[in-house]
Amino acid sequence: MDFIITILEQGLIYAILALGVYITYKILDFPDLTVDGSFPLGAAVTAALITRGMNPYLTLPVSFLAGVLAGICTGLIHVKCKVRDLLSGIIMMTALWTVNLYIAGTANVPLFSRDSIFKNDFLIGIVPESMKSYVTLIVVLILAVVCKIILDLYMNTKSGYLLRAVGDNETVVTALAKDQGNVKILGLAIANGLVSLAGCVFAQEERVFEISMGTGAIVIGLASVIIGTSIFKKISFVKTTTAVIIGSIIYKACVAVAIRNFEPQAMKLITAVLFLIILVISMERKTKVK
Amino acid sequence: MLELKGIHKYYNPGTVNEMCLFDDFGLQIGKGEFVSVVGSNGSGKTSMLNLICGSISPEKGSILMDGKDITKEKEHKRNLRIGRVYQNPAMGTCPSMTILENMALADNKGKMYGLLRGTNKNRISYYREQLSRLNLGLEDKMSVKVGVLSGGQRQAMALLMSTMTPIDYLILDEHTAALDPKTADLIMELTDQIIKEKNLTTIMVTHNLRYAVEYGNRLLMMHQGKIVLDKKKDEKEATSIDDILTMFNEISIECGN
Amino acid sequence: MKKRVLAAVLATMMAATMMAGCGKSETKSEAKKDSYTIGIEQFAEHGSLDNCREGFLKGLEDEGIKEGKNLKIKYKNAAADMGTAGQISDSFVSDKVDLICAIATPSAQSAYNAAMDKDIPVIYTAVTDPVSAELADKDGEAVGNTTGTSDKLPIKEQLEMIRKMLPDAKKIGIMYTTSEANSVSAIKEYESLAKDYGFILVKKGISTTADVSLAADDLLSKVECITNLTDNTVVSSLPTILDKANAKKIPVFGSEIEQVKLGCLAAEGLDYIALGEQTGKMAAQVLKGEKKAEEMNYETIKKPGFYVNKKVASNLGIKVPDELSKSAVESFDEITASKKTEK
Repeated sequence: MDFIITILEQGLIYAILALGVYITYKILDFPDLTVDGSFPLGAAVTAALITRGMNPYLTLPVSFLAGVLAGICTGLIHVKCKVRDLLSGIIMMTALWTVNLYIAGTANVPLFSRDSIFKNDFLIGIVPESMKSYVTLIVVLILAVVCKIILDLYMNTKSGYLLRAVGDNETVVTALAKDQGNVKILGLAIANGLVSLAGCVFAQEERVFEISMGTGAIVIGLASVIIGTSIFKKISFVKTTTAVIIGSIIYKACVAVAIRNFEPQAMKLITAVLFLIILVISMERKTKVK
Repeated sequence: MLELKGIHKYYNPGTVNEMCLFDDFGLQIGKGEFVSVVGSNGSGKTSMLNLICGSISPEKGSILMDGKDITKEKEHKRNLRIGRVYQNPAMGTCPSMTILENMALADNKGKMYGLLRGTNKNRISYYREQLSRLNLGLEDKMSVKVGVLSGGQRQAMALLMSTMTPIDYLILDEHTAALDPKTADLIMELTDQIIKEKNLTTIMVTHNLRYAVEYGNRLLMMHQGKIVLDKKKDEKEATSIDDILTMFNEISIECGN
Repeated sequence: MKKRVLAAVLATMMAATMMAGCGKSETKSEAKKDSYTIGIEQFAEHGSLDNCREGFLKGLEDEGIKEGKNLKIKYKNAAADMGTAGQISDSFVSDKVDLICAIATPSAQSAYNAAMDKDIPVIYTAVTDPVSAELADKDGEAVGNTTGTSDKLPIKEQLEMIRKMLPDAKKIGIMYTTSEANSVSAIKEYESLAKDYGFILVKKGISTTADVSLAADDLLSKVECITNLTDNTVVSSLPTILDKANAKKIPVFGSEIEQVKLGCLAAEGLDYIALGEQTGKMAAQVLKGEKKAEEMNYETIKKPGFYVNKKVASNLGIKVPDELSKSAVESFDEITASKKTEK
């Protein structure tokens, strides 16, 4: 049972990240490597704020905003400086490494003795003893579901329509008298906001900020998106955002299985093979207009 | 009124592959004119459209729209007053969005794309009415993704979408070229209807000489970046397909092909 | 077809998950009082950390707890990923192991976080600064059911030793990775102590292995000697630094035995195997119920040893003072070919 709870907790935290990656990768068709930097960015901001005594719940919107800024920077580099998508992400990811170090102060900030969104006087007051071991799970579930619902709602607004259109067919956006570059920047901002929010939640769950925690975040995000969308491709009543969340949980389950049943040295190989299998299955990508 | 004055356009400037396309090119199109443009490949038809729409910019010269210089204006800004339909039916629609969503998207052109609900429920019956004009049965498949529609269906939608909001100019870039003859006729007829209805100033590039002769009130033939034939109203009425074909062949022989 | 493949993959995963679940209950029934299960969680694949693990097992064995006899080891490596580290810690906790041994700071923090309310002791090692990692309070007392050993460098002793070897040197250089918390805290201590021994400290921060070569050129042009930390990035590029330093006849001091073998002149440093042994003995006390982890302060290496490489000394034309060479725990007469720090 503990085993399943761990998978769900971790899966749901990374699901928030995956929702961000879903926006860039699937909707904008933009391979955004900023993620490796904006995930620890959220954690760094959280660590800096919590150690200064800020209410842990307030770190959520602040981290989101920090991620939004990072996304805007990537967007500006890509749109205004005309740097290729992949490279803009790499540039921002590299820059964020230093930014994160500055924000957090050092490479490793423990938060053991601090309040967090999972452990504070308020929660201790309202949660009955029997539910105690499920607190983390419930909190991350609420966060992931709220993010999903807001994202779904947003995608059905006029602004959301435009965002979907820009990834689908840039020409249409220009034809609608809108600057497609600005729409891309908006998309990157929202996506990195979500990624940074995931970093915030992760830092509070692990109760530590570590500079290297973003390494490979993009791979986890991409894997979750691809697993989720390919499994539910034919099932129309499952929303893509839901599919992405489930994809993230499945990915974490795979990692958990690999941790338990294989030699530690083989971990990365197993993950790579697993990823390859999933990629091959989802080979049939939607064809797009150039 | 649309004016192109003293346009110079080079491709690959400053390299050995430098190629001059327009050398002091000029053109005036009056309000309400429906201009058909014909010409061989590489004659500069599409480049002219791109210049007007702002997809490319000239090295020298100016473009005026109703007397206002728009040479430096960005493409998306110009599009407030221009609608454009491309040769490739996929260019004018969003494949992964539904027909309804595409219509709603186009309906909002010129307004804020804010946080209001994307599809205004009160407008659905209007969209249905517009789609039913096409006689393609699209009005019954409003929640189908555009990506699964045929080329003709998509092109019809693209035409509807680009003319849905009030615009002054319509640019048609071989918009029937990728369609089968029957669908092409249908789209062409629809185009003519819409142009008349909304009184749009139109430039239509086409390789279909029959359309060029039958539709519109002015005919241009372009060759190597120059206008070699310009027939207006009555003159155009008197021109037959054969006349143009003869002219076309002469040009081609000059070029040696 | 595709659907079927997908279904198959899914089913396999489910089955595997379930099998893993069954495995769990087995181990639980096995664990009796006279035999123990330990989960070892190592943050990354690394020579020094491997030595810690080896030493840890040796330390346990010295206390009569031997793998295969009365000890079952579950060893997991997080491959330097925090998410994986978290999952490993959680899996140990849900397996209800008797003790978690966490090697390196991020793993220690993760294990402590997971085991916090679960009454599973966590013994850590290779944590440079348990206080700033919040694994111990200011006085070195445990903050929870956790204790272990620190691989804090004996910086004072190192500076003293360098002063004896190079009486005239003024500027001492250190290269470190700005993102390694351990290095940053060591640099701080060097900064405050260097003056006492008449040194001016020149520090050079890098962020990746790719920076090492350029940073080394720059540093070597400014200093008379270099001393190393246990910085992972720098240590793994040690051969590059040594080559450049040798060309300029600038001595490089190490921080542990392996570095001296590789060609550093000398070190007043750590032996990670010894550190691991010390940790293993602490773990044995906890397992046998003699002491609780929370009652034990964290420990540092009891006495740093002096290691010297005579071959390097003669290459550089440096004479090792007699009082030092006599006290050497081990001296080497050859330079091991660059095999990084792995054994």
